[in-house]
Amino acid sequence: MADERQGRGPSGPRGRGSARGGEKGGPRRGMFRRRKVCRFCADKIDYIDYKDAKMLLPFVPERAKILPRRISGVCAMHQRKLQTAIMRARLLALLPYSTD
Amino acid sequence: MSQARQYELVYIVSPDATEQDVADLHAQVEANVARYGGGMVKSENWGRRKLAYRIGKHREGTYVLEVFTGTGELTKELDRRLKVSDHVIRHLCIRVDEELRLAERTKARREADQQKRIARGLSAGGAKQRAEDEGGDDDQADRAEVS
Repeated sequence: MADERQGRGPSGPRGRGSARGGEKGGPRRGMFRRRKVCRFCADKIDYIDYKDAKMLLPFVPERAKILPRRISGVCAMHQRKLQTAIMRARLLALLPYSTD
Repeated sequence: MSQARQYELVYIVSPDATEQDVADLHAQVEANVARYGGGMVKSENWGRRKLAYRIGKHREGTYVLEVFTGTGELTKELDRRLKVSDHVIRHLCIRVDEELRLAERTKARREADQQKRIARGLSAGGAKQRAEDEGGDDDQADRAEVS
């Protein structure tokens, strides 16, 4: 979880990280902001298939909501494609709309 | 518009239906595709699967995937028939040729880029390398403007 938080993009809020680091001498957050890379760009996946529920599963955690890209690090283009793929998979009951 | 449109149709058959019913549905789809001058590309039966949520009173269903080429009229007709059919509990028909072609084009372009890089004697690095290269160029451009 902490890892994901650190990995905010370069445009993420800066003030929070540096303020924290100064106060308690804990790990300096601002220093080691790991830049996340879009998983689909890295793996060179051009077509996100709605039929492949296993591939989509990491992007709909627990409550079956779509993971925002500020957390997953997916690029805008692939997030859009991912969104349509998830919505199609939901219609076909391959993925749940919600879990209670 | 020159190329034929390709569609993907997935439908879920109720678990109460017999194998004969599934076969009948498949035959019906095939007949319709043929009638409207389309062609079957692929047909897959995924077998019985658990549904992610209940549809009506069903908790599982038989998934069938059909890929075919055809016209909008054809999909309209298939849509109507599947809606009327008692055994089909859910169906989705989408056009895929444009997306697939786009994916192919991206892939081709990436490979061409790779070839060009190799031809120029650069390492066959990925996007990261290229980003660094471009960054360097930008810096130079900035400096040129200043001076």
